[in-house]
Amino acid sequence: MISPSVRSLKNMASLMVRKRELFSLARILSGVSYLGPASLSVCSGHRKCNITRFHLPLTPSTSFHTTVLTSAAQSAITVTEEPDTLFQKLVVLVKGHDRAVLDSYEFFATMTAKELGISLGKVFEPPKDIERLTLLKSIHIFKKHRVQYEMRTHYRCIELHHITGCTAQVYLEYIQRNLPEGVAMEVTKTAMEKVPDHILEPMWKEIPTDDKPSQ
Amino acid sequence: MAASLSSIGNVRVLSALAWSSSLCSFSGSRGLHVTVSCCKNRAARIRVGKGDKPVTYEQAHHPHHIGHRKGWLSQHTSNLKGEDGAAERTVEDVFIRRFMFGTFHGCLANEIVIKRRGNLLNVCAVMLQKLPPQKFYFLIGYTESLLSHFYKCPVKLEIQTLQDKIVYKYL
Repeated sequence: MISPSVRSLKNMASLMVRKRELFSLARILSGVSYLGPASLSVCSGHRKCNITRFHLPLTPSTSFHTTVLTSAAQSAITVTEEPDTLFQKLVVLVKGHDRAVLDSYEFFATMTAKELGISLGKVFEPPKDIERLTLLKSIHIFKKHRVQYEMRTHYRCIELHHITGCTAQVYLEYIQRNLPEGVAMEVTKTAMEKVPDHILEPMWKEIPTDDKPSQ
Repeated sequence: MAASLSSIGNVRVLSALAWSSSLCSFSGSRGLHVTVSCCKNRAARIRVGKGDKPVTYEQAHHPHHIGHRKGWLSQHTSNLKGEDGAAERTVEDVFIRRFMFGTFHGCLANEIVIKRRGNLLNVCAVMLQKLPPQKFYFLIGYTESLLSHFYKCPVKLEIQTLQDKIVYKYL
């Protein structure tokens, strides 16, 4: 026979769980679609429910729920008349200490590009850089006894071809929000510009009369 | 800091040991073995003893296992090639570790993991259940607000609690 206080606690716990699930669902279905579900885990957290009225069981819990201020970022879609910049090539170079982390990040970035319909170029791994230091092992003397440290930097290069400015902005923002800690990124963009009108035609075609007096 | 000792240093040390020991035997001295005080590496190692000292996974593995059997305790980008700010991050890390050790005195089960993601400083720790949860909540909030005001960046604390320390082996 369950006591009424425990039953009410159980009901409240199930209600709280349902509230949290609804909350996360609402965020996913709202207009923040391009951010993706992965970044929501970074921005949002568990909402602290008002449990002050109930007697919490004093059994120690294994993890602590702390509040995170969830700011509702309204994505404003602006439509402008000016033409979008076109990028011939977008090179994303990621650097890190751990090869496994870079492997998983490369899988994530290539999957994102495929889902968004961006044409992928080369995805390759430049050779790693090792920076070695040879230091004295002891603080005072013993010059013959040294200690060697090394710092390894692994790279991963992802190239995207023929991408518009808006797509590039969205893709890069999504990629950068989900960059793991300890990983740095460098982006190189090669933009395409229209050839200026004054150099489309060669200059000597316009002035034919000047040739005769010089001869 | 991502660091691993290479094997070249050890080979050099062993050859130096062999040379010094061979010298002593040549001179015919009466058992006075003069050894260099730092022949073996002693950094971040717990020496093998009687077998009664409980040791966690982190403590049991030596620094040259970082990247192979161990992970990194402090993750930031300033040690990569072409990035700067390593000294500042290291000083911040040292301060944060001492601060956490002092604030949650006797409650830390394992080393603190510090992760930096953009501007956000994420401090992950595993604690023992020595204090009641209300005190834990207060200490977490106090640490977060104090460190964010001190470092002028958002600081998040991720705490997990255990009943007692997990022992990997006894040395």
